[in-house]
Parts: sequence; structure tokens; C-alpha cells
Amino acid sequence: MSVQVRNLQGNEACALGAIAAGCRFYAGYPITPSSEIAERMAEALPKVGGAFVQMEDEIASIAAVLGAEVGGTKAMTATSGPGFSLKQEVLGFAAAAEIPCVVVNVMRGGPSTGMPTRPSQGDMMQARWGTHGDHPVIALAPASVSEVYTQTARAFNLSERFRIPAVVLYDEVIGHLQETVDLRESATLELAERKWARGSPATHLPYAETDDGVPVMSRPGDGHRDHMTGLTHGEDGFPTQNPEAVTRAMDRLLGKLERDRDAIDAVDMLACEDADIVVVACGIVARAARRAVRDLRAEGLAAGLFRPITLWPFPEQAFARAAEAAKIVLVAEMNAGQLRLEVERLCPPGARVVGLGRIDGTPIAPAEIRAKVQELTQDA
Amino acid sequence: MLDGRPFDILDYLRRDLMPHFLCPGCGHGIALRALLWAVHETGIAKDRLAVISGIGCAGRLAAYIDANTFHVPHGRALPFATGLKIARPDLAVVVLTGDGDCLAIGGNHLIHACRRNLDLTCVMLNNEVYGMTGGQVSPTTGAGRLTTTTPQGNREPAFDACGLAEAAGAGLVGRELTLHPPTLKNVIKEGLAHPGFSFIEVMSDCTEIFGRKNEMGSSGEMILSQASAMRPTSYGSRGATAPFHPNAFPTGVLARNERPEYGAHLRAASASDDGHD
Amino acid sequence: MDTTEIRLCGIGGQGLILGARVLAKALVSEGRKVAQSQSYEPTSRGELSRADLLVGDEAPDYPLATALDLALILDQAAAGACDGLLKPSAMVLADSEKVPAPPQGAFTTYSYPFAAAAAELGTTRAANMAALGALVALSGICAPESLIGAIGAIGSRSHLARNTDAVHAGLRMVRDASPVPDPAKPRPGS
Repeated sequence: MSVQVRNLQGNEACALGAIAAGCRFYAGYPITPSSEIAERMAEALPKVGGAFVQMEDEIASIAAVLGAEVGGTKAMTATSGPGFSLKQEVLGFAAAAEIPCVVVNVMRGGPSTGMPTRPSQGDMMQARWGTHGDHPVIALAPASVSEVYTQTARAFNLSERFRIPAVVLYDEVIGHLQETVDLRESATLELAERKWARGSPATHLPYAETDDGVPVMSRPGDGHRDHMTGLTHGEDGFPTQNPEAVTRAMDRLLGKLERDRDAIDAVDMLACEDADIVVVACGIVARAARRAVRDLRAEGLAAGLFRPITLWPFPEQAFARAAEAAKIVLVAEMNAGQLRLEVERLCPPGARVVGLGRIDGTPIAPAEIRAKVQELTQDA
Repeated sequence: MLDGRPFDILDYLRRDLMPHFLCPGCGHGIALRALLWAVHETGIAKDRLAVISGIGCAGRLAAYIDANTFHVPHGRALPFATGLKIARPDLAVVVLTGDGDCLAIGGNHLIHACRRNLDLTCVMLNNEVYGMTGGQVSPTTGAGRLTTTTPQGNREPAFDACGLAEAAGAGLVGRELTLHPPTLKNVIKEGLAHPGFSFIEVMSDCTEIFGRKNEMGSSGEMILSQASAMRPTSYGSRGATAPFHPNAFPTGVLARNERPEYGAHLRAASASDDGHD
Repeated sequence: MDTTEIRLCGIGGQGLILGARVLAKALVSEGRKVAQSQSYEPTSRGELSRADLLVGDEAPDYPLATALDLALILDQAAAGACDGLLKPSAMVLADSEKVPAPPQGAFTTYSYPFAAAAAELGTTRAANMAALGALVALSGICAPESLIGAIGAIGSRSHLARNTDAVHAGLRMVRDASPVPDPAKPRPGS
């Protein structure tokens, strides 16, 4: 058996996926339950010519990551809820200045310090709307150890390609779960590289409109001498409050992901085609739902599973197809009903949305989902 | 150094952004000139210069410099610069910050940047006030001073930023007034040349907001009053018998701390690990 | 899709997590897919500790334990750790000395002197390895050679010989003597 096939912890897979994707800088601050990512990066990065720095706090960590990124080095930081809250300020800067970066949030019980060692999915909406102002963001929600590896790598690719912060969001169970993983997948991993400005510095506009809506970044030292700011800026990168210039800049920023959603959207569906009840779930809850759906199908109930792998932007089109025939959409999540809000917004008119939440730090078990579906089917 | 030409500030400014936004009498312009003069004399090419600034009046200055400039969130210039310098040791990385940006919201970053001793040059323009937001008290506002948030006079002692930087282990610590631009330039040059973290505090003046509120007179009068408050004693001789006086400042290169530079340490660790995965 | 669910439980310091890693390594070396999880708490030495393995030819849909086929209990404090999860067909292995009152139910309980056997080898800390030996012998979940190979790959170098001896001691408990299904009648010599 190849040494490439082995048991790996979710957080360890995150670190290895990052390195496979070309990450060569990590800055972080210890926080449960994500610290193994930092520990693994501290060990692995020097071996590939990279650098690891434990910073003084969560904000410094993401700020250092952005510094490395503008220098041309792919970089990552990882945290959990309280740290994710602290990082929002600089995450917003990354979104506004269009600096690629990967931020991992291993979700634990909240609010506040909450339950540090217990799983939660309470940061789903924070990943979308955590920082102030309107901005796009990408968030990926892996549900297995091998998917943590591939989705962390994919987060780098999407972040580079779209010049956007990419959040990898998974719960503590997935972070600490150890599963048998085949790392030979990494050999087939395609890496996306940022478009770097190569033309004449004289004509370069750092935030000019492009064919794909993603502006071309210049590398310090290459002669462009650009300015980058968190202030709303025009195509030249300098601050502007001219309403027309602001509208043009914001329209491009807010629309850039929409130009190639096929590259961003990713879902996993099981038996949705003829499903009367579609269960929507992410992370460890999706694993429970998969088992429940198989059991329900064996009982003759027409249940299906819709699992957004790309959580934000929410894969609306795929969900519309999955829920087309459904009478009920059951959103199972380890929070008080966050994803449900998005599902309610998008649900076809013929179906009703029901929530199944858990906020006690215990994963939702397959039997719970199965019983809920059975109950709903009887009611219907 | 531009082909051995004498220093001309216009070579280093984004002239199309003029006129600048600074108030008449603001000391920041003198500080900016001294910084660029020091860059010129040190021979740092503009393409190799990265200037990171945070938020506030000092934070706005980076945009005027014809270099690789980054205007980042409030207080976060130092950690951003830390990531950039580690990723790109070939760049000269300068942090241009203010007293509120550097000592209040970014205070923790300053302490640890000093301790880490990465080769950055941090130039903190101390104008004793939050000018951009309209004149609120700052960590360096002198005792008794009036600001919009200390209507009865400041009850908190002013921060000795250089004392903090030295205690935290900064490689080089210096302070200078804007009264003597060549002297100021020379202190900044020392910082740029130092292979480690250097912290330079520039005593600037906010004539328009802070000075007016405290009836400190014109910009010239404010600068001269700073000069008269200068204590000629060297920083090193200040002991327990000479406690910190909030409105008086020793100047010059105040401390040197020859310690290993952090970036070199990281690169050595990386090289020794290379190929042993 | 057949999945075998295994729980190793006892108290902190008994090496249960290491035991789970060793067993997982052995199973993976045989081409099986293993999902391993464990109690993750600010636990201090002496408090309840557990590690679960779900073993199959495919990765399980749900990776956490819901119905145990095999359980190893090394301390009385963990006797209730499997309550409600043991299948009627489950096999429970308990330390005959440390677990005087193992769980009762439709499942079958076997008591062996893991701690005593380890003590004979010089340290009770190898009880986890003796228990793994017995668990492998009784369940046939993997070949004993795979288990010993995994100890070589994961466990401490300095304790390799002792841990291997402990596994053999555990294997012999099952092979050489009939187990003691009734905990009220402890195995002679334990």
C-alpha cells in the first residue's frame, strides 16, 4: 500500500492541501479547534522554502497574510469563531482591495467563547456577511477529510483567479476526524496562478475592467508602483468618492463572481431527481443526512440530499433544479437556522422549508434526520 | 539615488495627486520630505520601496509617494508589512503611521514588531491628536491638553513611544523634531540602514486642530516650543531619578539593540530544512 | 456496505488514542478505509477518554459511531461509555481487574487481565497494546502481523519491543485460554 494512502486528520489535510496548492506563507494565532493546522504548517512550510509566523493576534495574522499575498506569495491563516470575528476587518480589506487569501474557520460552538471543543455550524452567515459593506466572498464547506484537502487547494485556486478572499468553513468534527485519504489526488491538482501585470507601467491601471472582471495585479518591484487602499478607489487605485466612479467600481466588484459561476459553484446531490423531501446540509451534518437518505430510500421514502460544497455564493441554480419536484425542503444544520434563511429565499414556490437545528454542541445524528423526514412525510 | 542627482522631492511624489490634503502648518509634510530625502540618500530605488500606512493623517501620506504603496486598515500596517517583508526580503519596507494608528489600535502590533526584529522601518508621526477624525485625544496627547474628547483637559499621561519600543527590543530607536529637517533625515537614514526593526518617532505638529484648541500659536511657534522642551540629555542616561516628562522629549538615535534579524532567521530555517521532506 | 464500529474507552493516560491510531494504521495497511474520531475535551489524566473507529471497504457515509460491533473498556469509569450503542451481536472486551462491573446486555462480554499482563512485562502502560492483541485475536478485524507492523510505524521506538510483547500477550490470552464471558468469574491467575 502506498504511503500516499493513509489516515489523516481533517486539520492536517487542510495544511497539506494548502501546501499542495502552493501556499508558502502562514500566519496564525492559536485557537481551538483549529490549532493543528498551524502546527502542521509550522512543521511543513520550512521544508518547502516557505515561512510560518505565529503572530501576536488574529488580526495581525490575516494582515500578515495579505502582506505576503501582495508580495506574490500564496498565503493562508486558520482560526475558529472568535478569531474569525476578529479577522473580519482585514477580510473586508482583502475583499475591497481584491487581495487573494485563504482563511480557514473550523467552527466551534458560539456565540462568544461558546464551546471551544464542540462542533457547530454557527458561522455560516458570518462567512457571508461578517465584515461591513457590500462585497463578494467565496466560502467552501468540505464534509470529509479528503474534501478538506481538495477544497482547501481549490480555495487557493479560486482566490487567485478571482482575486478574492476564500473561506474554508468546516465544523470541529470534520477538523478532528481522521479518515483514510489517497494523497495521489494531489498529483492531478491543477494550480491557478494570479494574472500579473506584464505590460508597460505607464499604461497600467490596477483596477481597470478586464474581460473576466478580475483586475490585473502588479507585483512590487516590477516597476508599476501601484497604490492599494481600503478606501473606495477608481481604476487607478486611488481613492474616489465620485458617485459614478464608485458605482462603476462597485458594480465590477460585486459582479465579478457572476461572470463564471460554473468555475465556482460545486454541489453534491444524492437522489434529488424524484425526491419529495430534499435535505439540505453541510459538513458533518451532510454526512448524517447522506446516511439517513440512503436508509429512507431503502424504506421506500423519496428523500434526497442537496449538499452545497461551495456555500457562498450559494449555488442557486443547482439548488433550484434539486428542489424542483420537492414538496418539502428540510435544512439540517448545527445552528439556529442560518442556512435555512438562504434556502427559504431560493426555494421554489411549491415546496415548504422546514428547519432541523441543533445548538447543543452535539452533531445531528442520522437517526434524527431520518425521524424528522418520517414525521414530515406522515404530516404531508 | 536617482543617477547621482541631488535630492528633489518631486522625483519621489505622485505629482498628479497634488494638491495634497494636509492642513496649512501641518508638520507631516516636513516629515514626508525627510523620509523621501533619507530614501534618496540611502539609494533605495522607488521600484524597490514599499510604503505601508494605516489610517489617519499620517496614513494618507503613502498615496503621495511614487513607490509601491499600501493603505491598509487602521493599526494594521505593521503586521501587513511583516508579511510583505517576509515574502519579499528584496524590498525596503517602510511603515508610515501616526500616534493613534501605531500606539492605540495598533499598539500590540508595535510591541511584537519590536520584539520580532524583522527588518522594517517604522516612522511614526506624532502630532498628539486624532486629526483626521476631528481632534480627539490620542495616546501621546500631553497631560492637561484640550481635545474634543477631553474638554476639561487630558487626564491620561502621554505615551513614551520610544521607551516602549526600546523595552520591547526594537533594533534601533530614534526620535526627532521637524525643526531640523536634515537631522530628521539623518535619523530616518539610520533607521533605513539598520538591519532589523527600527522605530523612528517624528514629533509633528497639528496646528489647525490641536494647536488652535490649545492656543499654541502658529506652526512655527509650535515647533519652537517643542524644541525648547527638548531635553539635551541622552536617552541612555535617563534613569529612575529623571522620570518621563510627558511634554518633553529627548531626541536623536536613542537606542541600538544588536539582535539577530528575524527574516534572516526564517530564511536560514527554511534553507536548512530544504529537500528533507 | 458493511461497516464495523469499534470503540476503545477508558481513562486519560491509558493510551487509548495511540491504540486507535495503531489499529487504524494496521487496518489501512490492509486496504481498509477507517474513520477515526475521539473525545476532544480539555480532559485531564484520569478522566473518561474514548476513541472510535469505523472500518469498511468504503468510507462510511456517517463517520461517527452509532451502533458498536466491538468495544474495549479499560477502566470502570468508562463502563457506561457505550450505553445504548452496543449491538446485540457486539463483543465487549473489558479489563478483568480494572473493570469489575462491565456493562450488561444482549451483547457478549469478555474479561481479560490486560493490565496484569502488562505489569508482568514491566509497565501497566502497555495494557492498551495487550488489549489490542486480544481484540484482534477475538474479532479477526485484521491480521496480528498488521497490528505489529503498525506499532513499528507509529509507536515509540524505545518501547517497540515491550509493546510488541504486550500484543503477543494479548493474542495468547484469546488463543491459549478460553475467555471468561461471565465477569463474576474472573479468569484464573488474573
